[in-house]
Amino acid sequence: MLANNNQAIINKLAKNSVRTNKKQYAILFVTILLSALMLFCVFTIGMAYLDASRLQNTRLNGAEYDIATMNGFTSEQLHTLQQNDAVQSVGMESYAGSIKGSEFDDTVDVGLLWRDDVFWDTLMAPARTALKGHYPQHKNELMVTKALLKACGNENLSVGDRLTLTYENNTGIHTDDFVISGLWDGYGDTTVGFVSKAFYDETGYDLKNDGILCIKLNHNYVLPTTLQTIEKSLDFSDRQIFAPTSYIENSLKLLFGICGLALVICLSAYLLIYNILYLSVSGKIRYYGLLQSLGMTKKQLVRFITKQMLLIGVSGIAIGNLLGIVLCMTCVPYVLGVFGISTENTALQFNPLILMVSIVVTGLSILLGMRKPIQIATRVTPVEATKHRAAISKGKGYKKKKGAFFWRMAFDQLGKDKKKTLVVLLSLATSLSVFYCLTTIISSQGERTVLPNYWNADFVIQNQTQTTEDINSLQPAITDTFVKDIEGLDGIKDVHLVEGVPIVLPYVSDGFSEMWIRNYIDRTPYLSAEEVIADYRANPSAYYGMLIGIDDEQFEYVNQSLNHPVDKQDFLDGKICLVQYEGSEIPAEYLNQTVPFNFQGTSYEITVGAVSYDTQYSGRDIGASLIVSQAYLDSLTAAPTTLDMYIYYDKTYDEALEKKLTALVDNSPYSNDLYTESQYENMKTIQESQGNMMAIGTTIALLLLLVGVLNYANTIASSIQNRKRTFAVMEGIGMSRKQLQQLLMREGVLYAAFSVLMTLTIGTAITYACFQSMNYMAVPFKIPVLPLIGAMILVLLICTLTPVLSYKKLAGNRAIVERLRDYE
Amino acid sequence: MKKMIVQTQALKKYYHTGNQTVKALDGVDFEVAEREFVSIIGKSGSGKSTLLHMIGGLDTPSSGTVVVDGVNLEALNSEQLALFRRRKVGFVFQQYNLIPDLNVYDNITFPLELDGAPIDRDFIQELLDTLQLSDKRDMLPAMLSGGEQQRVAIIRALATKPAIILADEPTGNLDVSTSHDVIGLLKILSRKYQQTLIVITHDSDIAQMADRIVQIEDGKILAKGSDCHVSE
Repeated sequence: MLANNNQAIINKLAKNSVRTNKKQYAILFVTILLSALMLFCVFTIGMAYLDASRLQNTRLNGAEYDIATMNGFTSEQLHTLQQNDAVQSVGMESYAGSIKGSEFDDTVDVGLLWRDDVFWDTLMAPARTALKGHYPQHKNELMVTKALLKACGNENLSVGDRLTLTYENNTGIHTDDFVISGLWDGYGDTTVGFVSKAFYDETGYDLKNDGILCIKLNHNYVLPTTLQTIEKSLDFSDRQIFAPTSYIENSLKLLFGICGLALVICLSAYLLIYNILYLSVSGKIRYYGLLQSLGMTKKQLVRFITKQMLLIGVSGIAIGNLLGIVLCMTCVPYVLGVFGISTENTALQFNPLILMVSIVVTGLSILLGMRKPIQIATRVTPVEATKHRAAISKGKGYKKKKGAFFWRMAFDQLGKDKKKTLVVLLSLATSLSVFYCLTTIISSQGERTVLPNYWNADFVIQNQTQTTEDINSLQPAITDTFVKDIEGLDGIKDVHLVEGVPIVLPYVSDGFSEMWIRNYIDRTPYLSAEEVIADYRANPSAYYGMLIGIDDEQFEYVNQSLNHPVDKQDFLDGKICLVQYEGSEIPAEYLNQTVPFNFQGTSYEITVGAVSYDTQYSGRDIGASLIVSQAYLDSLTAAPTTLDMYIYYDKTYDEALEKKLTALVDNSPYSNDLYTESQYENMKTIQESQGNMMAIGTTIALLLLLVGVLNYANTIASSIQNRKRTFAVMEGIGMSRKQLQQLLMREGVLYAAFSVLMTLTIGTAITYACFQSMNYMAVPFKIPVLPLIGAMILVLLICTLTPVLSYKKLAGNRAIVERLRDYE
Repeated sequence: MKKMIVQTQALKKYYHTGNQTVKALDGVDFEVAEREFVSIIGKSGSGKSTLLHMIGGLDTPSSGTVVVDGVNLEALNSEQLALFRRRKVGFVFQQYNLIPDLNVYDNITFPLELDGAPIDRDFIQELLDTLQLSDKRDMLPAMLSGGEQQRVAIIRALATKPAIILADEPTGNLDVSTSHDVIGLLKILSRKYQQTLIVITHDSDIAQMADRIVQIEDGKILAKGSDCHVSE
């Protein structure tokens, strides 16, 4: 049989049908356009979000690396890493001592580091925001920051200036002149100085024992086995530490989370298209029946419908993506700029791969979404088609339901075509859930990445007037007036003081003091044990310690952090103390030792109840810091010195209060020796490291919500179009416009209520799973109540208004009889 | 003298398409007495359906007045018109125009539910029994035959006990035997409940069943038929 060339007439009919029914096809066209636009924008902005997220980690770490190895490395281990295909670059770093004082300040305590070219030029570059000069090349050169210069007592120095520093390393304590070879600024620890290789080689430290390797991997997402393989290949000793960052350790979980979100986004695009195609085709069944009755075969009908969809699909995809490019490349940066959000570090870049994904997903959604409606259109016989009324369930009884008339009708409407209703609800709930999920993740970004201050204080002030050897160096830098001034500020909720006194711990052979000083000698290899012990015996006040008093509340906090909590009453009675130690574990023999000490010429004794590794009270490094109860301290002296202030605000991150507090500290005569730590400053640093991550994330969440809501609006508009006849009949037999609006609004309320219900149940479960997959800081799960309520109100408003407005637009001012005639 | 329940004066309905003006009704003066059964005949496009729609408040005239049961429809807003249609008029359409989502019983009680009026269940049941639809009350319209659907439409029109029944070619989609049954039922029931019945038809046999036949052509009434002889 010869093939009948009917391609031309089908093409013509398809084109004419689209041209003459522009209004009807507009919804389908807008749907496809929106899907393409959503996919392009969400993926483009999503990529920018991930870049911003990685940048935040880089900034918080002070360099871009995935794994750090500590406590030294061998040249073989370095070579193994450099040869590993999974490794992109390996940077070296080592501790090079610490600055103890400068010509401007005697009480400096900042570290010195040496970093190799790879570390400085490659790994550290993304975390640097400014650089003047060059990395130190000669022994007396130093790379500094303004923060370091401030700690050294003169922040006005610049590149080329000289600076005299007293520093300590494994060879001893030295004083030398340094030339500032460079000045940098950026993220990470800005209070360390960087020294040259020539300087480092003379510090007594070596890479084998003290070196640190920072490793950047080739990929941002790796399997746990990749990390295990790298660790195994290095064959580390017990002393060496292999420490992947939390980000890379959880990268696979993160990737799953991202893929899950991407899938949900693709699914919502599919649902959007499927829904509208279904409604569009089922609304034209009578027309297709007419074509069949005129002799069009099912095959030809399929070709005809496909052709129509292709015409609309291709133009929708093209224009949608074009709009996406314009929106992402110009509008979004412009809007962010208007709101004062910098896009400097997270530029939205055109990615051809995203364009392809958008085209493929939208195209596939059309092809898959078309299958079912085409089946319906071709399965119906011409006679059935002429009698067809959209979405009428057949063949089963229909029971009258109880309830108010309009609510009953609205329920019936939703239950009439359960599949369509489910798809609409699913797509609405999906958008709401994605919004919920993203908002949860974004709002917890700070908490998931920032660790709280010690004892969760908003502001901490520490007295750092002490020098290493002079027991009388401790000054009353935090005076009663100073404390009162702070307590008198508006917005201060509470102030906790930590007081203390210097004590002399006499040398006792085989006792606590010998163990303590030997531990210090072990950490300071340039010292001779015999000489130090002899000096200690002769002059114990040069090795003085501190007695630190804490109140009940602080005791509760410290006690719960101990491996072995102590008896509260014994502590309060002054029978036992805690030893503050900022190092790795110290021998168990320290426990239950009786420690004799002298204070103002009187001898006392106290037993060590526990070692606290977490406490951060101003203490001593050489001599021991003993934490006792405030009552016990008060029993020894009437005038202890205030060491620390823990300040709590009524309102966390109170910027105005923060400024007043900082001004008080700056105006203190001891401002140079008052060390401060502020939660507000920490949060600001985090926010700066995050760049515009929050804004970008919120944009995605809102975009997805908007698209979901538009999907609903589109579906409902299409559904209202299909129900025009019913509405005209209802009006014809006496239903007023107001009553019709009430009915439509109730349908909208039901859609909103069910989708909210789905979001709060299934959405919460999905959100919780996504949150936990990215929650490597183990922060508690918190529902973002306000944004969620806002989104739900928006959904409710749009759900109720859309059907009413759609009908208003559809019916216009046309007489009922005209609308009834449309179908006859 | 009989009380006139429908009165139209100089009723005009013009449609404008491009430069052309179609005169669907062109100065119609028409009266129907209470409890009268009038059939309106005429060719396709003569304006008979337009006249019925004007009387039923489904469409608005270009000029002229329509007064039904003492109410001038021109003075009513859309809400009042809806109330008028719900309470005063019962429609029977050629396409039945049942609400596809509601079952037979709900279709019938729909205008009553809209009104929030108490439903006279005995009356509805009587109608269902009379029109032999009692066993179909829970069925959806799509599950019924054409004749059955039209009978449901008749019950719906009668359910609110309106003053006038307007039937626009109610037998257009039915076979001859069913057509006569349907018109017979309409006539009997309107007599029984003392309602005015206006029927548009092409079928001269059906037209003959009316008290009076009115012929329309080109938007004008040609013949107003014989005098009313309403059964008392």
